Amino acid sequence: MFNIYKLGKKFGDLDVLKSISMNIEKGEVVCIIGPSGSGKSTFLRCLNLLEVPTSGKVYYNGIILDADLDSKKLRREVGMVFQRFNLFPMFTVLKNITYAPIHINHMKKEAAKELAMSLLEKVGLADKADVYPATLSGGQQQRVAIARALAMQPNMLLFDEPTSALDPELVGDVLEVMKQLAADGMTMVVVTHEMGFARDVADRVIFMDKGYIVEEGPPEKIFNNPKHERTQAFLARVL
Amino acid sequence: MNTLMQLHFGQAAELLVPSLMHGFGVVIQATILGFLLATIIGMIIAIGRLSSLKIIKGILYVFLEIIRGTPLLVQLVYIYYVVPLLINLLASLFGYKVDMQIAPLTAGILGLGVNYGCYMSEVIRGAIVAVDSGQTEAALVLGFGKYQALFRIVIPQALRSIIPSLGNYLVMMVKDTSLLAYVAVNELLLRTQSFASQTFFTIESYTYLALAYLVISIPLSHLVKFIEYKLKTNRR
Repeated sequence: MFNIYKLGKKFGDLDVLKSISMNIEKGEVVCIIGPSGSGKSTFLRCLNLLEVPTSGKVYYNGIILDADLDSKKLRREVGMVFQRFNLFPMFTVLKNITYAPIHINHMKKEAAKELAMSLLEKVGLADKADVYPATLSGGQQQRVAIARALAMQPNMLLFDEPTSALDPELVGDVLEVMKQLAADGMTMVVVTHEMGFARDVADRVIFMDKGYIVEEGPPEKIFNNPKHERTQAFLARVL
Repeated sequence: MNTLMQLHFGQAAELLVPSLMHGFGVVIQATILGFLLATIIGMIIAIGRLSSLKIIKGILYVFLEIIRGTPLLVQLVYIYYVVPLLINLLASLFGYKVDMQIAPLTAGILGLGVNYGCYMSEVIRGAIVAVDSGQTEAALVLGFGKYQALFRIVIPQALRSIIPSLGNYLVMMVKDTSLLAYVAVNELLLRTQSFASQTFFTIESYTYLALAYLVISIPLSHLVKFIEYKLKTNRR
């Protein structure tokens, strides 16, 4: 789905991503791990053009991503879930989910509502359709945010540290929903500090540090038998 | 006692109050239209100043400095007396002969709208900037465009957060409509002035005038406070 070739991103003089090359296949779950400031989130944001790459090339289904691309179309197909949920506080849960399908995909109101309810069912929050986001816990808000992203029926979802802003006891529910998505065959790229999730769910784990991919491979290989000493040092600290 | 007998509040009320009632209509009309115009101008300036085009930012900055650096009264007089003359002059330079005039109330509404719009633009701009950038990003990743995100998601939140301060501007504008007397708008002050000069009920007339403003501004400011309170308790 994505072919990434020597992707680089600079913010002024700051080199955040140096030279990232990788492919992401349909149906794959890729987890990106690494220390803070290693460029994980920036990499993810380059995939839906929230950041425009400054060097290298990123192809999505053969289309090159650059500043000239109609990013709206790309983003309809590549959804995103944020660390801080970013639900719309003035809308109810239901409207948060139906808003984009109605206004962007021109879905009929009734159909959008039906879709939203089935998604809420899926994330275990069918009883919360009519409340406002601020009345929900962080874990519930994040599950609504996932339902909101799914409502656009994307080909793929990007997760930017989806559980990092949550209280520890709320993390499980969100991971459970993500596991279910993975089992349903959704293509996912997940930036995470949840090593357990990466180990259990990922098809491939990528360890990033200082703007480079240091090591990548299936989770067993990365977690049980890391080759690179920076990977070993990082895993020793977090496991 | 004798001195007090010379006051004729009852008689003055009988004659002045009906006229003031008509004046109310003018005040309300000027305030509503002026405030609408001010909100639109404020919004346009706020969005313009957030744009990345330096030339737009520069022009708006100079415009703001001019409006905020001159008194509202002077602006009203300028719009009423000078702007039509300038337009006529400009037209004659191009060989047209026009005799443009501007109706007093129109000049008044324009003046209030432009002046308040400039002050309100700063409030609106601040509120737009204060909305979490995650809101824009959330809209963008759902497939909304930059401007859709701004108008559908960010601005509604920004406006909601500044309803109380906009309400205060509304109350201020009610009181500032008294300046429209100087561009011949037949509002409360002008009506009172002419009544007082005909009847010499000076104390009575101006006391009623002051009361007339209080009748509008006190309930209005309480309404604003009530809305502010409601918004605070409803913050979900």
